[in-house]
Amino acid sequence: MDLFDNLLLGLSTALELNNLGLCLLGVLIGTAIGVLPGIGPIPTVALLLPFTFGLNPAGAMIMLAGIFYGAQYGGSTTAILVNVPGETSSVVTCIDGHEMAKQGRAGTALAIAAIASFFAGTMATIVIAVMSVPLSVLALKFTAVEYFSLLVLGLIAAVALAHGSVAKSLAMVLLGLLLGLVGIDVSSGAARMTFGIAELSDGLDFVPIAMGLFGLGEIIANLERPAERRVVSQKVRDLIPSRADLRAAFPAMLRGTALGSVLGVLPGGGAALPPFSSYALEKKLAKDPSRFGKGAIEGVAGPEAANNAGAQTSFIPLLTLGIPANALMALMIGALMMQGIQPGPQIMTEQPRLVWGVIASMWVGNLMLLVINLPLIGLWISMLKIPYRLLFPAIVLFCCIGTYGIANSLFNVWLMLGCAAIGYFFIKVGVEPAPLLLGLVLGPQLEENFRRAMLLSDGDFLVFLSRPISAVLLAVVAALLLAMLSPTILRNRKAALADSP
Amino acid sequence: MTRSGKDWRDLLFGLFLVAVSAGALFATRNLNVGHAADMGAGYMPRVVSLGLLAFGLFFCGRGVRRAGLAIEPVQWRPLLAVLAAVGVFALTAEKLGLAIASVVTIVLASFATREARLRETVPFALLLSGAAVLLFIKVLALPVPVWPR
Repeated sequence: MDLFDNLLLGLSTALELNNLGLCLLGVLIGTAIGVLPGIGPIPTVALLLPFTFGLNPAGAMIMLAGIFYGAQYGGSTTAILVNVPGETSSVVTCIDGHEMAKQGRAGTALAIAAIASFFAGTMATIVIAVMSVPLSVLALKFTAVEYFSLLVLGLIAAVALAHGSVAKSLAMVLLGLLLGLVGIDVSSGAARMTFGIAELSDGLDFVPIAMGLFGLGEIIANLERPAERRVVSQKVRDLIPSRADLRAAFPAMLRGTALGSVLGVLPGGGAALPPFSSYALEKKLAKDPSRFGKGAIEGVAGPEAANNAGAQTSFIPLLTLGIPANALMALMIGALMMQGIQPGPQIMTEQPRLVWGVIASMWVGNLMLLVINLPLIGLWISMLKIPYRLLFPAIVLFCCIGTYGIANSLFNVWLMLGCAAIGYFFIKVGVEPAPLLLGLVLGPQLEENFRRAMLLSDGDFLVFLSRPISAVLLAVVAALLLAMLSPTILRNRKAALADSP
Repeated sequence: MTRSGKDWRDLLFGLFLVAVSAGALFATRNLNVGHAADMGAGYMPRVVSLGLLAFGLFFCGRGVRRAGLAIEPVQWRPLLAVLAAVGVFALTAEKLGLAIASVVTIVLASFATREARLRETVPFALLLSGAAVLLFIKVLALPVPVWPR
């Protein structure tokens, strides 16, 4: 009965007029971001953070969440019509979606993508609601010891499932932790790595870092590749899929949703891994696998469902335990902290309106997306015609003003400039910046809980192993590390991520 | 892509980590480290920096020993144009005001690509500058001047 009450509370929050407006704004911005290749949801959310300071916490989170899952919808439009993934999560949709468009079935592909996304979004919302209650009960048993182990698990698992080299990702986590230590030490008042710069005494702001690393670094690297965009210029019609199409797509949708929901909860999974797995699964199950790559409808329905379900369930660790599963969730945590909410296992009991409001708004937002996406498809297509040569200077300018606006500080603009150069360097040497952001955001909490745990145990490191919940969490960490180092898994992981760019 | 006798990606990343950790160890050399039961401000920085140093040395070693893909050559035009645009914004925003800083930033950033044409960029920059002033100063009340003081 608890669940029902909670959902009711959530719906009453989500349906407040200004929250509805923020949700709509979020999904519209998100779709636009998803449609436009060349700017991802991470810099967008970073860019919009300063605007959310004036909102209440629930409204801010609802809008930012809307941007995230809105981007998943928008990304598929570009994938199908232009064969360029608007988002990394829609890479797979390109394969069969664009092929369908070339065969004159763009309308069907777009509609199936939207329907699959909506179906998955709805199911994932239910999964979140059902899973949240037992997780939050467990979370209440947490002390500093368990929370430290949980943070370690979050960081390691995010690395294990992310793209790229494991060792490099671990190094990036450490780098992020180090950057997180910059500033005045809370317990002793000593300045750490501030180099006498007053702006650094509160620590490094993560927004300029995220914008520099993810936004500007990415833009510079994009400009090095010659832009290639060919929009399928046919009129998009037949937006209502036939009964046969729906019958072919529905089982794939179901499987994609289930797969996405499970993979999304895992840290680091987010929305990138599920579509690849779903595509592989559909191809394996198909009677005639050779149809894939030539416009198979299951190749659109499954991955699209998986990617939306995954995007949504990746909120579970954030909403119940207060730890982010990926870089974007790290930004959300940052948004909460700026609102004065301390993320952690107590978040659900202390902020029920916020948590359930966000959960309920996800379903509302998904419904909005279905309604606005298909009729407005012409508008999104026309957005695709904005040339990148005009788009990117505008993004650069808005990044500058946005970074400045967080604290009215030019120091942050310089910090962003430095991070842009470093972000470009990271792309050149092939390392993912996402683990750095996780380390940066979780660093202060990790240190605080470690200190507290050590203080309680009188410096005995064994305390992390003698408490059962903590021991289980660390055992999972150890298993993950061992698995990552074992050669067979390494090979499988490479194969699983091989299709990704 | 050409292959090279060294893995330059590993090597450069390793050198970067070594430099960062060395800098951090140097910057925190005077902080009180304390011990596990009563950590000083320097405890975590020291632990994390040493870990980072170990990773850095590992990548340096691996980069020297094994072959890898060469790094694609750096194209200076986009890199310098975007960084210069941000730098100029930082230098001008508070002195010359948002209106002028926005135009200069956009025009400079557009130099990042050869496709840009001034006849197109300048009107676009003026338009966006106006939009930025409206949005950020009039609507969001950002405390930055519109015109030079």
